[in-house]
Amino acid sequence: MTRQRDTAPKFLNLFEIRFPVGAIASIGHRISGVLLILALPLAAQALERSLHSEAEFRALLAMRASPWASIATAVVAWAIAHHLLAGIRHLLMDLGVGHRLAAARASAWFVNVAALAVAIAILAAGLWSGGAR
Amino acid sequence: MRVFSGQRAWLLQRVSVLLVLVLLAVGGLRLLFWPAPSYEDWRSFASSAHGAVLIVLFFGAVALHAWVGARDVVLDYLQHRAVRFAVLLLVATMLVAVTLRVLFVLGGQIA
Repeated sequence: MTRQRDTAPKFLNLFEIRFPVGAIASIGHRISGVLLILALPLAAQALERSLHSEAEFRALLAMRASPWASIATAVVAWAIAHHLLAGIRHLLMDLGVGHRLAAARASAWFVNVAALAVAIAILAAGLWSGGAR
Repeated sequence: MRVFSGQRAWLLQRVSVLLVLVLLAVGGLRLLFWPAPSYEDWRSFASSAHGAVLIVLFFGAVALHAWVGARDVVLDYLQHRAVRFAVLLLVATMLVAVTLRVLFVLGGQIA
């Protein structure tokens, strides 16, 4: 019985873990992944509506004008950007590229900052064009 | 729940994501460098055989990739067996439903 306990996986208590830059890139990868999974039914629904009729297609595009849509788009854009960049970082590390500490920390900084920059740029562009309309 | 676990899951997650990356890159380049598609463009793409297959492949690959990732996250943070099972079942059902819905929508376009 004890043997099974010894081989059971350890559970991670997020409040007892310190967060260096690589850990932030990593937890961001997980948070963005969960967000994207939650967005998946919405994506399927948007796909269906966009093909249903031209009016639905235009209605979907017109949703971009509202400030709430800009915020939602920025969150999804952050999730996509972070998940893509952090994922490519992991794939490169699997290939042995940039897996040493200094390079790994530098690429983690890049992923964290670039994903936020993408989100802020999209939010600014969305709010600006929405306000101009 | 030993659906796609261990090294097979690791490989599946990476192979499926390569397909997602290629399709995202192609779609992203199309949107960046050509004029925004009209409804007619979009519809004729989605009702062509190759367009429909690419869209279904995209959602299918995303669903497989998402399953492996969601499973990792659930196993790391949810300790209670019943909660784990319930969440995994919910995620699996949702991913299958999304994939089937996309399949039916595009099947309807072609038919």
